[in-house]
Amino acid sequence: MNIRKPKRAESYIPTASMADIAFLLIVFFMVTTTITVDRTRVALPTSLERTEVPKDAAVISVEEGGVVHFSDGEEQSRVINMGDVLPAAAFVIEKNSLKWFVIKADGNAEYQHIDRVMEQLRQANVRNIAMLTGQESVG
Amino acid sequence: MKVSKKKTEPEIPTASMADIAFLLIVFFMITSVFSVTRGMEFQLPPNDKNDAPPDTAEEAIHVHVIPAGADCIFEVDKQQMELADIQIYIEPKLARNPNKFVIIDPDPDAPYRCMVDAFDELKQAQVKNISIPTTAEKAAWGGVL
Repeated sequence: MNIRKPKRAESYIPTASMADIAFLLIVFFMVTTTITVDRTRVALPTSLERTEVPKDAAVISVEEGGVVHFSDGEEQSRVINMGDVLPAAAFVIEKNSLKWFVIKADGNAEYQHIDRVMEQLRQANVRNIAMLTGQESVG
Repeated sequence: MKVSKKKTEPEIPTASMADIAFLLIVFFMITSVFSVTRGMEFQLPPNDKNDAPPDTAEEAIHVHVIPAGADCIFEVDKQQMELADIQIYIEPKLARNPNKFVIIDPDPDAPYRCMVDAFDELKQAQVKNISIPTTAEKAAWGGVL
């Protein structure tokens, strides 16, 4: 007797929704990515107390040796002389007197560099500053 | 005569769509940098010509940050203490006067992170008035500190 072979179902992996998933991920990455204006590599000091810094803040980064980078929050940061922080900050403050300034300094930098930056910011009538810090591990 | 026409199903090839999308994902993942967007806020004093020290400067708690090798020594009101003890020292004073001034005075050659540590401690103790005078301000204040 001839037994009829069962009809074999074609095996396949459904890939139609794969693109949808991938595009969803792309959109997620595009939304969460912020364009950084300053890419100076510094070892940030750590703190427990941290608050979110406004996104369009001007950035002043100070390297361990005291090299200063300045960005007005729109353009990419550039290296400037320590003495030029005052005119640069004054120019930014002229346009927006409540502009936030972010100090992104290396934890091992000597305080005198930060002191000179803060003094110039004060003279430029800057009110709001934030010191960028990393997350401190508890314990 | 009947010509049998085999009709082909119309379709859009979507098999490579996922490949293209994943290529874009990889590109975005590699080019994106995780930037730190958190920090400690601080208000600078207004830059008026009247550089007199605040009336309360003399009664303020004075935190002196002194470099010691790779680390730092913290002197609060001239008493040397551990970082963790600063909060314990400040809390009763703050309970009596919530507007108590605290002045952080780091040495010029102290590392920045020590000043951040002290500032962090004070923020945790919920001190409202923290002052970090610059060298020029301190010079203008005279011998208060």
